[in-house]
Amino acid sequence: MAQEEASVSQEFTGLSIDHPVYCYGQPQPPPVTSEGVIAIDITRNFLDAAATLEPGQLVKDGYFTLFESVGAIEIMDPKMDSGCLAPDESLDEDYDVTRPLLPAEVLGIIDQLLCLEMAWHLGYPLSQTLLTNVYIEAMLVPNPTTIKEADFIRGEGPRDPMFIVLRAYCLGLLKACLHVNERIKYEHYYEEEDFVTTTYHRSLLENIDDIEIRDEIMAAKRLVHSLRPKISDEMADALSFRLELRTAFLRAIELAELRSHWESLSLPWSQMKAIWEPINRSRHLGTPVPEAFSTKLQRRLASTMPPRPIVQPSFEETYEHFKKFFADGIDLLKILNYTDSQSLLNFVVTFQAQKPQPLVYIRTLLQWFLIQDMVVLGRVSIRQVLDDDLSIVALPCSRLLDPANDEVEAPHDTRFAIAHQMELFRQRVAPSYLDIFKALCQNRCRVRRALCHAIQDWETVQMDAEEIDQLLQVQLEEKPITYDGSTPAYSIPLSSWAYLYKVRLMEWIVQLGFELETYQPDEMAGMYWYLSYLAKTRAKHAERIKAFTVQRLNELRAHPFSNTAAMEATFTTSLSYLRATILDATSTLELADALSCLYTVLGRLRLIVPPPRPYSSDELRYEIRMKPFAPISLPRLPSYDNFVRLSAQHETSTAGLLDFAQRAVVNAKMGYDVLGKMGEKEAFTANAHERWLAGIKNCNKSGIAINIAVAAIRRALESGAAKEGGMAPGEQKVMVELPKPAKSYHEWWIVPKIVEKKS
Amino acid sequence: MAARVAELPAELKYIQYEHSLESQYLPAIRALISKDLSEPYSIYVYRYFLYQWGHLCFMALDPVDSSLIGVVICKLEHHASHSPPTRRGYIAMLAVAAPYRGHGVATVLVKKAIDAMAQKNADEVVLETEETNIPAMRLYERLGFLRSKKLHRYYLNGNSAYRLVLLLRHIDPDGHEDPNGAADLSLDDMDTAPR
Repeated sequence: MAQEEASVSQEFTGLSIDHPVYCYGQPQPPPVTSEGVIAIDITRNFLDAAATLEPGQLVKDGYFTLFESVGAIEIMDPKMDSGCLAPDESLDEDYDVTRPLLPAEVLGIIDQLLCLEMAWHLGYPLSQTLLTNVYIEAMLVPNPTTIKEADFIRGEGPRDPMFIVLRAYCLGLLKACLHVNERIKYEHYYEEEDFVTTTYHRSLLENIDDIEIRDEIMAAKRLVHSLRPKISDEMADALSFRLELRTAFLRAIELAELRSHWESLSLPWSQMKAIWEPINRSRHLGTPVPEAFSTKLQRRLASTMPPRPIVQPSFEETYEHFKKFFADGIDLLKILNYTDSQSLLNFVVTFQAQKPQPLVYIRTLLQWFLIQDMVVLGRVSIRQVLDDDLSIVALPCSRLLDPANDEVEAPHDTRFAIAHQMELFRQRVAPSYLDIFKALCQNRCRVRRALCHAIQDWETVQMDAEEIDQLLQVQLEEKPITYDGSTPAYSIPLSSWAYLYKVRLMEWIVQLGFELETYQPDEMAGMYWYLSYLAKTRAKHAERIKAFTVQRLNELRAHPFSNTAAMEATFTTSLSYLRATILDATSTLELADALSCLYTVLGRLRLIVPPPRPYSSDELRYEIRMKPFAPISLPRLPSYDNFVRLSAQHETSTAGLLDFAQRAVVNAKMGYDVLGKMGEKEAFTANAHERWLAGIKNCNKSGIAINIAVAAIRRALESGAAKEGGMAPGEQKVMVELPKPAKSYHEWWIVPKIVEKKS
Repeated sequence: MAARVAELPAELKYIQYEHSLESQYLPAIRALISKDLSEPYSIYVYRYFLYQWGHLCFMALDPVDSSLIGVVICKLEHHASHSPPTRRGYIAMLAVAAPYRGHGVATVLVKKAIDAMAQKNADEVVLETEETNIPAMRLYERLGFLRSKKLHRYYLNGNSAYRLVLLLRHIDPDGHEDPNGAADLSLDDMDTAPR
């Protein structure tokens, strides 16, 4: 059971526990007289009714769920009731926020705040992070409405310079948190899983203008500068860099909202990246002030949450996380450089495949950049992206995509019909197409789950597209052609386009299964077989599309007058996309085949032994494992018997399987080598080429690892260290280790290691 | 951590819970389960399960003094958030006192619970377990459970979980009302909607 369920905090709108009634002395009885209300004392009835129950008897209606029951707390249990005080314990923290602070203490507090800020970005609630700081509490309560009020000490009077520095830092910090929180809330994310957006009715300086805050930070910086002789250059620099970080962060947030040119947006991110190193180097100058942080402050928050500890990563961890955060921020902005739809997709795919995954704020910025009000990257219409994609994948220079069709007003004109059908098609597919991007922006677990839903959607997209294809092929008077020696067929370009996506999504689901360690060792042979089956389907389908595209190109070339350089270029783009797709799919299928054979051999040698599983059958487990794919009509999920037959390959000898695995690795390598030599134009990886190329190289390394494993098995079989059908546990001289995905060359290729048993 | 016993006391007693045992065993059950939790469940949560599905709760007792050594707590309900609806068993809590671990006590308890749920016509049994809890995953996977999905940051400590599923019988997909509709593949209700 998840314990998150215990925090039922959102629903207490207007119920603030720092209301005097709840805080001090004996609670007052609620007012029982009010106009229009007739109060009846039911104490007696309640006690009488309760007396008829036996202890432990449950009273609830049929709709009271487990989720709600987990929200129950026991009053006066110190682990559940945050208001429960130990004898002589004071309700509030008795830290004096007016006490003088040394520069080193201010630095210590700021650095601890940095750690807590990162903990918040990582998904821990404000109550366990920033809102445990007494200075922040003093600044936020009561809610300041002017910049002057936003201070630890309210009212006039001189301020110690160190106060001014800490205050300016906190102002910048809280305002950044407000913007980050708002951005995340605006996009698709999972509350309490990716992030906790609740502020417990604290306003994070909502009423105060960013410009005023930036002015305060500037003033504090000037102040620090003037203090140089007094506090040392080192300390002055350390404080200045931290203030600078806050200014840059606010600037980065402000610019990101513009979604304009990436280079101008990246400036503050580069600044943060540069400042972060001297901040890290100067943290030894700080003196921690642990007493300025307390979980007691949780009592003042509007929440029924039990008391929970402060979550604070070490500064080393915080350093690494922020470093990655800033680097990801810079990388992310390159997405704004739109070139083509497939590069856009590859950007998102490779960006999100990074380990560790970019933090949720970066991921929500990614969503914000990608799609807003049906506009992509702030300037490209969905229609343009879709038409780009259709042109690249299946319809280069097609009459279907001719913008002039829209101008035709005669209803009997073919172009009028095309414009109408294409518009229906775009409206139908646009949400599904954008959903792929949205799904890819989520955390990895959710990506897999969202794709399981998406393939069912694409199943119907494909069917609907096929209907439109059939209408259009009549309009275009298309003649079926024979390709691949089979019966004549129509191009059905729109459903072909949809099918290509659907199969790719299916592959991703299987591959994410490896990445997320969903499969047990004895499932590997079958899952790699299925991956290979899907990749083969995709390769074949891309070949089909290519056949029609080449046919159209030849027709075009046969009429030299209608053939222009621009048209040739559009066809070239499409054909190079299909080439890259076919190479990617065939390399995937070969490597998956190699691993499937290898794992099948490990099963035969009893180096991977399935657990006893007295409550399950292989067939029932196949049903659960393949549940996402069962409703898909094409490619149809193989029956269980076929699945077993094809992945177990009983008719092939073990030596034969090992030979096959090695050949498959050779074939995969040929494909990856060609891919690896492609430029970003041929590979459709603009703005993401390095990340993509690293992935290709890691696939090749996985192939090498497979070869090593195959060679080790051969040696073991020759030397008698392993035997067909297995050996008695004591005799076996080798064993198999499955590396964690993170320890593999590539998360999608889990290559077993054959190691000698230590005697 | 308490030292482990080398051998179990001869023949532990395994008994099915019933409401009349509440005053005798509920405090011990709570204490045993709370040990591994950063935050205790309120007594209401225990009663939520035990009062409604006491027959799916099993206890391992010391044969000499009848003290509690291990416990499993479950529920069994219609699960209708996706079609076809199933009768879904859920293993909510499982705990064995530290000194008695490693002797298969938990396995016996889980088997008894599955048997009881199967007898009550459960179609499937599900549970979540922390990704770092290797012994628990091994226990369930040895019995036939499969990891169906990973749940990101499912626990308060920030750890992720796996949903484990044991299918007890074939579920007819024709139970789908609309085979082409958005048939929900998920195993929980909060799959697509942001929480």
